[in-house]
Amino acid sequence: MKTFLFILIVIASGAAAGFIHGGMNLIFVEPSLDQAIGIENQHLFASGEEKDTPEFWIKYDGYRMWQKSGQVLAGGILGISIGALFGIIFALSRNSLPGNTDIKKALVLAGIMWLMIYFIPFLKYPANPPTVGDPETVVLRGILYLVFIAISGFGAVGFYKLSKKLKTKKLVAVVGYAAFIGIAFVVMPENPDQITAPMDLVNNFRIMSAFTVSLYWLSLGVILGSLWHHYKPHKEIIPFN
Amino acid sequence: MSQSRQINVSKNGVPVTAIVALAIIFVAGLFVVGFDQGHIFSLVYGEEAFQDLYLHELTHDMRHAAGFPCH
Repeated sequence: MKTFLFILIVIASGAAAGFIHGGMNLIFVEPSLDQAIGIENQHLFASGEEKDTPEFWIKYDGYRMWQKSGQVLAGGILGISIGALFGIIFALSRNSLPGNTDIKKALVLAGIMWLMIYFIPFLKYPANPPTVGDPETVVLRGILYLVFIAISGFGAVGFYKLSKKLKTKKLVAVVGYAAFIGIAFVVMPENPDQITAPMDLVNNFRIMSAFTVSLYWLSLGVILGSLWHHYKPHKEIIPFN
Repeated sequence: MSQSRQINVSKNGVPVTAIVALAIIFVAGLFVVGFDQGHIFSLVYGEEAFQDLYLHELTHDMRHAAGFPCH
């Protein structure tokens, strides 16, 4: 395998999908974030922590501008990060993935990884907008989320390897994983924070968040699959006389 | 006369160096966007970074939008 080309393709596809994700968030998710932060501001005024003055709004606008400009940049960083994991697993499993083209193979893997390390953990610990979340519990919530993703991801790999070793049907691995993650779903503690924001806002935010993350995974599969198909980093040039 | 030629062959082996490099990128990127609370900038700015939270604020909107816990 051409090492440098492989890494370059993985980073480029992760960055491209990440920028798409960040750009889509500006359109679909930012309105909910602005609304939620508006509620936070009202709480600050009501508690006397801040005063509703022109100075406050100048400071606030600068603060939100910094956060919004970071949306696309952070999209690129997160995109490269998740894309790196995707690239490793794609390279290791490419020969076993179904599909007769690299794009189809990459889309199948993107779908599997979306389900295992994003959507199932999302069902247990759904995304929340600002105003929801106690700063005192952020470390605990971070650990719970990460542990659940790890349980789901390693569980899926474990059951796949087990079914291959025992030479059983893939359905057995799927059923085994479903039972395993079902138990983890019940056993893992709930998010300790109460939702105090309006549920309409929270639900709208969650739908938009899930939509753009799903777009990221779709973009990642298409872009990496296309680049892989075009540049073929798995083919090595071997000289002979 | 000898003639040098080349062929393309498919190899299954994925270089360990590539896996290690990408794994480092994965962990570092995930930490920056999903979990940093001033830790990275504290390496340069010390304790003040935990109050300023520049990196946290920069990644704040994506952190919420991508489903990571925040605040």
